[in-house]
Amino acid sequence: MRAAFSEVLVRLAKADPNVLLLTGDHGYALFDDFRRECPAQYINAGIAEQNMVGMAAGLARAGFRPVVYGLSAFIPVRVVEQIKLDIAHDKLPVILIGDGAGFVYSHLGTSHQSTEDIACSRAIPDLSVYSPADRFEVTACMETAYHAKAPAYLRMGKSDRGDVHSAAVDVKIGKLLQARQGKVGGVAFIATGALVRTAIDIAEEHYPDATVWSVPSIKPMDGELVVTIAKQSRTIVTLEDHSVLGGLGSTIAEITSEFAPVRILRVGVQDRFSHYCGSYEYLLKEHGLDRETIVQKICDFLALS
Amino acid sequence: MVMNSMNKGFDAKVLRKTVLDMAYAGSTVHIGCAFSIIEILAVLYRDHLRYPGNEPLAAGRDYLVLSKGHGVMAQYACMRELGWLKEEAFTHYFADGSDLKGLSDSRIPGLEVTSGSLGHGFSVGVGLAMGAKLRGSDQKVYAVVGDGEINEGPIWEGALFASHHGLKNFMVIVDENGFQAMGPTKDVLHLGSVQSKFESFGFETITVDGHDEAAIHNAVTRLWASDASLPKAVIAKTVKGKGVPFMENNNMWHYTRLNPETYAQALSAVAGGAQ
Repeated sequence: MRAAFSEVLVRLAKADPNVLLLTGDHGYALFDDFRRECPAQYINAGIAEQNMVGMAAGLARAGFRPVVYGLSAFIPVRVVEQIKLDIAHDKLPVILIGDGAGFVYSHLGTSHQSTEDIACSRAIPDLSVYSPADRFEVTACMETAYHAKAPAYLRMGKSDRGDVHSAAVDVKIGKLLQARQGKVGGVAFIATGALVRTAIDIAEEHYPDATVWSVPSIKPMDGELVVTIAKQSRTIVTLEDHSVLGGLGSTIAEITSEFAPVRILRVGVQDRFSHYCGSYEYLLKEHGLDRETIVQKICDFLALS
Repeated sequence: MVMNSMNKGFDAKVLRKTVLDMAYAGSTVHIGCAFSIIEILAVLYRDHLRYPGNEPLAAGRDYLVLSKGHGVMAQYACMRELGWLKEEAFTHYFADGSDLKGLSDSRIPGLEVTSGSLGHGFSVGVGLAMGAKLRGSDQKVYAVVGDGEINEGPIWEGALFASHHGLKNFMVIVDENGFQAMGPTKDVLHLGSVQSKFESFGFETITVDGHDEAAIHNAVTRLWASDASLPKAVIAKTVKGKGVPFMENNNMWHYTRLNPETYAQALSAVAGGAQ
């Protein structure tokens, strides 16, 4: 997924000299190709994210197409106000990349873990939020965000969970992508980012009738499609490596509660910080986002209906 | 050195009267914040800022970034001189459904940034300057910041960047009036020498009397004439509330609204050119 991100970024920058990559002193190996292919379009702004995002607004005003890269704990969370005032308020075409979302930095603790970024960004008007699940989605999200010429936040999480699609996809703003076909009346899994692969695996093993939807474009969201899914499904399970407050689960619940009430199990981080250090898989388990725990949660939830 | 010609407008007395009229019409605050930058803005608009065709959004224009958005009435007053705003905008300031806000809003042509939340405009200005440099354009960027505002961290992040990248087309003008919202800057968060700070960040600096238009003009001109690839800083020693004796150095006028008596007294003081 990171290789695909690098590839699409270099491709966009070579085709459009106005594309500038700004990094807050992160992405050392990730940008080797970019620095080699487009050295004049690369700016390391230093460990100064607030200034970097403000500058990106100035560069966009001057006609450039900044892509601003940082860890999602910092971009967007540290710079929410710069995104709101300097970029989104004037719909400036800046793409903000938050890498390492969720528990990628499992050993580093709360400082580098990021489970609030969707909630922080989603409430900002005119800011689109993308959350690709695999290499095909990251490529399509970048292309869609670039052509939209509008403010965008793209969340990149755990990148080596395997593909969820078998070929290139077309990401349209607000559209969900079917990652596994099930049957009408089955459970609908609606997942994003690193948890899409998990959702597919669980469906394959335990819920053969379940349909799995991937959500690479969280905001804005096509409400009509969500309502259709709600009406055709026994129940909905949302999955994300983000807080259950303000993320994908909240989005689906907001739409369905108004237009197609349905019981929803929101699988995500339960409004808590990580307590312990450990591997990525360990951290998922600590937060109840490992396969076994999720399956048990779904089983318990369905037993109530 | 060519001195300013007052016949080109931007008379400080007129600008202050405009601010008083709109502050009274809108029953609004931040008069002191506007009065400390009147001469700074007058000099920039009259002698330095280039707006091809007198268009506020002209391509290739210089950029005036009012990072201390609280002084926006001073900028509105200058934009009135340029004919960019309708009279109704002044007589109906703060009316329901009106455009001009109490802080700088970039959706108004002529205002480059949305500020008031402090420490934003400076960085946007650095980005504009970097953009001009990358394009090989001779556009200049002026960022007007308050001394209270430079409590904010992004100012110093941006100063490092401007210096590191040799943004010689970027000029910060510090309105050093010695006050911020809750009191004197030396009591709230002591700044020490603002000039030394910008110098140590790699800026070419000059300190001037921020109400002496000739001195401001000369400082700006001298700094732009420099061959050094350094960003510039003008430290303007100003008086908060300048022009109305009962407002000068009285921080109440960060927050106080005019009543009929104070409005009349202030108009009289401004008309008399009280120094």
